[in-house]
Amino acid sequence: MARAPRDEGVVTVGRTRIGSILANTIGVLFALLMLFPVYWVINTAFKPADEVLALDPTFWPNHPTLANFTSAFKAPLFLQDMLNGLIVTLLAVAGALVVGFLAALAIARFSFYGRKAIILVVLAVQLVPFLALLIPLFLMLQTVSLTNSLIGVSITYLVLILPYTVWTLRGFISGIPRELDEAALIDGCTRAQVFWRIILPLTGPGLVATSVYGFIQAWNEFIIINTLNSPAKQNLMAWLLQNQTTRGTAWGPLMAGAIITSIPVVIFFLIIQRNIATGLTAGAVKG
Amino acid sequence: MRHGKYPFIIGFLVVPVALYVTFVVAAYLQTFQLSLTSWSGLGKIEYIGFDNFVKLWHDDTFWKSIKHNLFLLILLPIITIAIALVFAFLLNVGGGHKGGQSRGVWGSKVYRIIFFFPQLLALAIVAVIFGRVFGPDKSGMLNGLFPQSWSPWLFLADERYAMACILVVLIWQAVGFYVVLFSAGMGSISDDIYEAAALDGATRFTLFFRITIPLLWSTIQVAWVYLGIAAFDAFALVNIMTVDRGGPNGATSVLSLMIYRNAFDFSQAGYACALGVVLFFLTLTFAALTLRVTRRDSVEA
Repeated sequence: MARAPRDEGVVTVGRTRIGSILANTIGVLFALLMLFPVYWVINTAFKPADEVLALDPTFWPNHPTLANFTSAFKAPLFLQDMLNGLIVTLLAVAGALVVGFLAALAIARFSFYGRKAIILVVLAVQLVPFLALLIPLFLMLQTVSLTNSLIGVSITYLVLILPYTVWTLRGFISGIPRELDEAALIDGCTRAQVFWRIILPLTGPGLVATSVYGFIQAWNEFIIINTLNSPAKQNLMAWLLQNQTTRGTAWGPLMAGAIITSIPVVIFFLIIQRNIATGLTAGAVKG
Repeated sequence: MRHGKYPFIIGFLVVPVALYVTFVVAAYLQTFQLSLTSWSGLGKIEYIGFDNFVKLWHDDTFWKSIKHNLFLLILLPIITIAIALVFAFLLNVGGGHKGGQSRGVWGSKVYRIIFFFPQLLALAIVAVIFGRVFGPDKSGMLNGLFPQSWSPWLFLADERYAMACILVVLIWQAVGFYVVLFSAGMGSISDDIYEAAALDGATRFTLFFRITIPLLWSTIQVAWVYLGIAAFDAFALVNIMTVDRGGPNGATSVLSLMIYRNAFDFSQAGYACALGVVLFFLTLTFAALTLRVTRRDSVEA
């Protein structure tokens, strides 16, 4: 503890070179561990059937092929379920953004009786196990004939992603100085104009972050859609599971399907990956 | 400017409140109501008082499931948070301190993307992949990596290790999110603090335990609650990956799986709802306890 290095603005926390090497090695090993299964999926997806089932699996396809992808696309219901997933996800995300933004505005910009209670409910809803709600949900949607319908699932997904949306947007809106609102009001804006012209544009990054998160949640969901809807009205996750059980060993097309299914999410992630920390901070860290 | 505020508040909140009253509050009330019936899922509803809960008390699978949920509840948060903290630390300050700015280890941006990757894969896909990883014969990924002379490990087909396999997958899937979450938290800790401590001769260890952890405490708390909730759920993985869904011999049964199977496979909707009620109270108790027990004077960064 005695010798503190003080050479001209260079302070080495790690002190030793060995420490740094160790840190880097652990990092690389762990990254490999995280990546390996994903790599294996890609590896399998490009292998012809006989190589997939080979008892001595290789780390790369000897005869790379796109056959698995074409057979996934041609598989029954694949395109249908992809479209279903897209519709349901976009409806839910759009709905959650509109409803969530307004709710977040109310919570962030007004003080009113019951505000604390609403915040508490928003948080608590994320805690309660959703699975226990499947039965009443099914009954409820049945009474309004929304089972086996894309609309019913969309509404359910909206409810599912709304708490996070409200909570994150609340964080972003709270970060906009109230002085801006007041200045605009003095300049003759109405409250509605303040919300529309000032707060909405400034919440832009928050809207992007929450919509991506919502997209991932809704796109990847399969328990609800699997329970409420028949195969022709399900999404790609449910399709994958169905094919896992019925086809058993057709790993190639299955892995190709998994890759295709993950592509939209990965693209979205790469677009916002710089901002992902910001989104998380606004939502969770600020509390 | 005060007048005219309520129209906005009511207008803005009426839809979300209505949605929650129907889809969450009313739905839960119905779960409570159905838990007092012998309803099969179809046909007549008959009230049987607390019989479902009595039956539950004597149900071996129920206690096994509770045990498995507790196993996850204790180990999942501890291991995930420990790994995530260490890596977030490595990524943010582990690389040393040059020119007045703390740096992560080499390539920390790439790591951040890699660690987040599992988060992007749907649980359905994760489950399918790890079904392959844990394949019980030589075509399984891990068994394929082991020396040829070893007899293949059974993994999910072995009662003793099946639950541990589930735990591994849950950690694998979750850890990246928490690395990013903690990184965000660490990013907001001022460099001056680290620099001052480093000047005073603090080692990496001291920095980690004396500065990073106390300043991140509220984030760690949030992480703990989220991971606990995930431990109470675990439905997707168990349902897809395990032998006989919850097997072998009930070795991986969890509460959420019991709910689903009773409701949709065994036509015991009333019983499933009773399990749902139990899960509801367990989850809320856990969340409240965590927040209370881990409360300490927060240190402002």
